[in-house]
Amino acid sequence: MLPLDLFVNGLIIGLYYALMAVGLTMIFGILKVVNFAHGEFYMIGAYTYTLVSLALGVPPWLALPVAAASGALLGWATERFLMRPLYAGYGSWALMKDEYAVVVTFGLSLLLINLVDKIVGPYPMRGPSLSEVTRMAIGPFMASGQKLITAGVAIVLLIGLALFIKRSLWGRQVQAVAQNRLGASIAGIDTARASSIIFMASGVLAALAGALLAPVINPAPDVGVFPAVKSYVIVVIGGMGSIPGSVVAALALGVLESFGAVYISYDYRDTFGLVLLILVLLFRPQGLFGERAREV
Amino acid sequence: MTGGHQSSVCLAEIEVAHRYKTPYVNTNCWSDDIRKKGYAEVFNPGNYNTRVSSAMAETIAALKVRNVIAFAENTDYGIGQAKLLGEFLQKTAPQTQYKYVALDRAGKDFTPAVLPLRASPPDLVVNIMLPPAAYILMNQLYEQGVAPSAKTAFYDGAGIADYPDFWQNVKEAGKHMLAFGLYHPAMPMPALGKQVGEIYQKQSGNEPNRLIFQAADSVLLIARAIEQAKSTDGAAIVKALQGIDFEGVRGKFSFAQEAGYKYQQWVEIPYVTYQLTEVNQPVSKTTLIQVPGKPLLIDKVIKPAK
Repeated sequence: MLPLDLFVNGLIIGLYYALMAVGLTMIFGILKVVNFAHGEFYMIGAYTYTLVSLALGVPPWLALPVAAASGALLGWATERFLMRPLYAGYGSWALMKDEYAVVVTFGLSLLLINLVDKIVGPYPMRGPSLSEVTRMAIGPFMASGQKLITAGVAIVLLIGLALFIKRSLWGRQVQAVAQNRLGASIAGIDTARASSIIFMASGVLAALAGALLAPVINPAPDVGVFPAVKSYVIVVIGGMGSIPGSVVAALALGVLESFGAVYISYDYRDTFGLVLLILVLLFRPQGLFGERAREV
Repeated sequence: MTGGHQSSVCLAEIEVAHRYKTPYVNTNCWSDDIRKKGYAEVFNPGNYNTRVSSAMAETIAALKVRNVIAFAENTDYGIGQAKLLGEFLQKTAPQTQYKYVALDRAGKDFTPAVLPLRASPPDLVVNIMLPPAAYILMNQLYEQGVAPSAKTAFYDGAGIADYPDFWQNVKEAGKHMLAFGLYHPAMPMPALGKQVGEIYQKQSGNEPNRLIFQAADSVLLIARAIEQAKSTDGAAIVKALQGIDFEGVRGKFSFAQEAGYKYQQWVEIPYVTYQLTEVNQPVSKTTLIQVPGKPLLIDKVIKPAK
């Protein structure tokens, strides 16, 4: 039953990765920049959930929306105050300042890590569990109630996001801006608002991922660094800007790591994604779900 | 210089101390390699890997277990400790099958390393990892029903049971853990040590732990060496420390001059073995299995019902 165990565990880990990677790919899709502070959105969500629950005594299920709100607020503030200068003038064919985005998001990442380190402290803090069930068996598979809830919430969030992007007016506006920012603005779409929505959604997903995993990963100030690196790998494998691509790549990576760790070597667990990344870049550089594009 | 708390960090720091001939009092870096460098500037009043490995091997032999797996962090400390434990087990418990798995100390999911143990559970799982990875590993071992369980005991060799954030992070997964420790309120301690512990408890509201005493001894050693040398010159302090008969908060000691892992080390550093029998149990309420210099009371060890 070990293979089944590994497969299910890999899918669950893949769902965690997907929550992170989807937000990152959405930002890339609309702004064509990589948000290097994305891991810190995750960290802020984990800490908000933990501190609101433990310090203020708020029940964990109510602390979850507070964590989501913290991610939305951070996403909105990042877009409004740090990203907007990036595309100010883009509508009039001015060049995007990509290098600015790299420096500013990297700086934001360092700032947030060090702020939390100074204010809250460097020690890990385990968040309260949403379920009292510390372990349960479902056939041959064993997991904690928290892990199963996290996986369930991740599925609901990803489906909800897909419906929002496909069916809602704001979602369609976001799609239009992602395809052609200038064209969308000529058609009367508020491109700044679309960017704001995407940053807020991305912040909500990352913060909720952090909050849901706070009882599992015991957050410390640098907890977001590693998932962020995984997310970059997933986004490139899935195709930069592709939401379905990120979900498929995240699930595939989760399962690959799970099996590889047992049947190849645990020591190389984090290299499997990088090997896959190299193969994708060699044979399908646009990513699994990406589209070939050429700009003139 | 003093205050080191990670062997990899200390190994880097002592190179600088050695280059500039600056006295370096190693507070809590356990890797034997720090001692084996043979740097005259480096003094070790804290614990060391050989001490822990020999103590763990003795406990494992007394437990009469057959299959042991250790999870070690991928650092100088972790891998060094795991290898040493294997060497000691060959001498003290040759019938024991032992292997270790190195895990990434920055890792957040160790389930793939834990899952194979469900099919063939060992008799004992040994932790050679520091928090936060150690806490995550413990929770995942517990979640998968591997350890602590009726079949598999869990033994911490990293001294994490008295960390202030231990119970907040492990909860049920910490119950029944057997622990190697460098401080227990029931162990003999000089009056100065008791005084330090009382002041710490009054100021912080927490029970003191071994790190408090190790830090106090590190600072006190430097002060005594300066007094003895009547100088703050590095060479004079090194000379004073080499010949010091120190009476600190944890006892009386001097530094050995034998080459190898004992070099400038407090060799007979006292340790205890205890078991945590309840969730949120303070160290003072744990069951002592071994006090310094006494035989193990292995019959006191209890296992979970399932």
